[in-house]
Amino acid sequence: MQLSKERIGALFFLALAILYGYYGSEIQLFPGDELEPMNARTLPYAITILTAGLAIFLLATANPDSEDDAHQVFEWKLVVLLIGLTVLYGLALDWLGFLLATILFLICGFRILGVTRWRVLLQVSVPFVVIFWGGLTQGLDIYLAPGRLFTILFSG
Amino acid sequence: MLEGILTGLETAIMPTNLLMVVVGCFVGTFIGMLPGLGPISAIALMIPITYGLEPSTGIILMAGVYYGAIFGGSTSSILINAPGCSGTVVTSFDGYPLAAKGQAGKALAIAAYASFTGGTISAIFLLVAAPMLAEVSLSFQSADYFALMILGLSAVAAFSGKGQVIKAVLMTLFGLMLSTVGTDRATGVERFTFGSIDLLDGISFLLLAMATFALAEALMSVLWGEHREDATGGQDMSKLGSMKLTKEEVKEIAPPIARSSVLGFFVGVLPGAGATIAAFLAYGVDRNLASEKDRQKFGKGSLRGLAAPEAANNAASSGSFVPLLTLGIPGSGTTAIMLGALISYGIQPGPRLFVDHPEVFWSVIISMYIGNVVLLILNLPLIPYISKLLIIPRPILVPMILLFSITGVYLVSFNSVDIVIMAAVCSLAIVLRLLTFPMAPLLLGFILGGMMEDNLRRALLINDDSLSFLWERPITLSIVIITVLVLAAPVFQKTIQRIFKVDDHADLSID
Repeated sequence: MQLSKERIGALFFLALAILYGYYGSEIQLFPGDELEPMNARTLPYAITILTAGLAIFLLATANPDSEDDAHQVFEWKLVVLLIGLTVLYGLALDWLGFLLATILFLICGFRILGVTRWRVLLQVSVPFVVIFWGGLTQGLDIYLAPGRLFTILFSG
Repeated sequence: MLEGILTGLETAIMPTNLLMVVVGCFVGTFIGMLPGLGPISAIALMIPITYGLEPSTGIILMAGVYYGAIFGGSTSSILINAPGCSGTVVTSFDGYPLAAKGQAGKALAIAAYASFTGGTISAIFLLVAAPMLAEVSLSFQSADYFALMILGLSAVAAFSGKGQVIKAVLMTLFGLMLSTVGTDRATGVERFTFGSIDLLDGISFLLLAMATFALAEALMSVLWGEHREDATGGQDMSKLGSMKLTKEEVKEIAPPIARSSVLGFFVGVLPGAGATIAAFLAYGVDRNLASEKDRQKFGKGSLRGLAAPEAANNAASSGSFVPLLTLGIPGSGTTAIMLGALISYGIQPGPRLFVDHPEVFWSVIISMYIGNVVLLILNLPLIPYISKLLIIPRPILVPMILLFSITGVYLVSFNSVDIVIMAAVCSLAIVLRLLTFPMAPLLLGFILGGMMEDNLRRALLINDDSLSFLWERPITLSIVIITVLVLAAPVFQKTIQRIFKVDDHADLSID
């Protein structure tokens, strides 16, 4: 069986339905709830059956010809790097604080997308983040924690 | 009704709300201009800002962004042949050839006048239809709401374009799956939380919307290599030519605009149809009605071919507010986001909105007029300047969009784990987008899932656990029949396409 986009999608949804159905059966009910016509498991079961049925239908009727994007060059590396950067930003935010973490996020983001001149990197990211941070903290009165690292370093 | 209009007018012309319409239109125009970023992303990016505002002010801002994004999408369709959203794809058919002939100013003016007329006619219809429908829907019961939600979800799938119906239904089911994560509201039972406290309240709507639209669309543009392209398409944005129209030209475009405005409104009212289908239909209808000589001009810079879809897509945008405001059922991905925002304000759209929060109901409708005026009077003359924002290089712009998306979620929850979850959801969304699964049904399923389950539970309780409620009441039965017809619609799609000569390869994905 040739794996076209549709078939890959169908297999994904079939696997999702199986997993969802399995965890749906694990939902703890209160005593007597299983006798009710509708309990916490009813909708998950209905969704599981419909999803599995449609996924099998799509699998069976999918066009076997792969509508490939052979002519299209995907920039996977850049996207993976940007997603990785997003994860790192999430992890660094609590430690470095909003200001520093965001400046680093923008500098790295610009660099990943091909901006190499340090002057541009700093001239765009630093003022932008400082104005953004000022707007949030002073304008909208939002408290942004300074970051655990600074608290540890400067609180003695 | 007059009292309501005055209430709406009073709220809409408050300085803050007027400012929000203007800001919304400008921001929407700019975001809508960026190829790849549509109205859904534009509105999603606004949600965190609106949390600090009054509900009516917030929804007015989002409505302004919506029109602005559609207008901005038309602008990029005309100037650089790169539609900002699917609703303005048809605009590029005749708008870009006009711009290529050195008549970009004229094309933009026609688009603005057509949008203004479409939006205004549609807003008048909305003014009349919405209160009437709201009063009728006051008699709706849980059974009717359950049937309506099924209709809304089915319609979204049915109108999702060639070969996409099953995929759209699967995405709707995926949205329903995600809506079941958290504590079951009726029984208090935990579902799919895997012991995590973070999941007890369910998945955040904002996180899902941002990750699947704003973040994913920005990263998709990187994936396609669009960040390397010049966003201006090499066009000199300061030289757009005259924006004046001759009397003959006005006479030529007036009838298609009027026709398409009415058509657009009614298509917009249908759940799941929206601006894209309205624009394609209006284009097809006008091409069919044109004389043989005029028909030859379509696709080569026809003024009618530009005016018709522009009037229709704007009219449909206003029309899509009818089911949202009166029934609480979003008819499109964009209105689904607005529904999510309204719910987060503690406001439940639907027939009670008209009674409980008349200032929100009426001010949104009145702000539509104001939004149209702002687009015509302020945005049109400023297009040469607004479009200069496109000069900002993409490698600078993309990380900023990512930052706004991420901080939008973080500044609401202040939980950095949300950013990591966002990255994971976004990665999945990118894969599903590449497998050509539409994203809007996911949001609709997610938004309607909880409400659908509540209404089904209530209907079963009232009807002694019997499903007979689906055919016992005439209203419910009518909705069920319409749902069946809507689901059968794709079967007749080819016939419809033949009648209206809609482009077979047209992507009618919902917006």
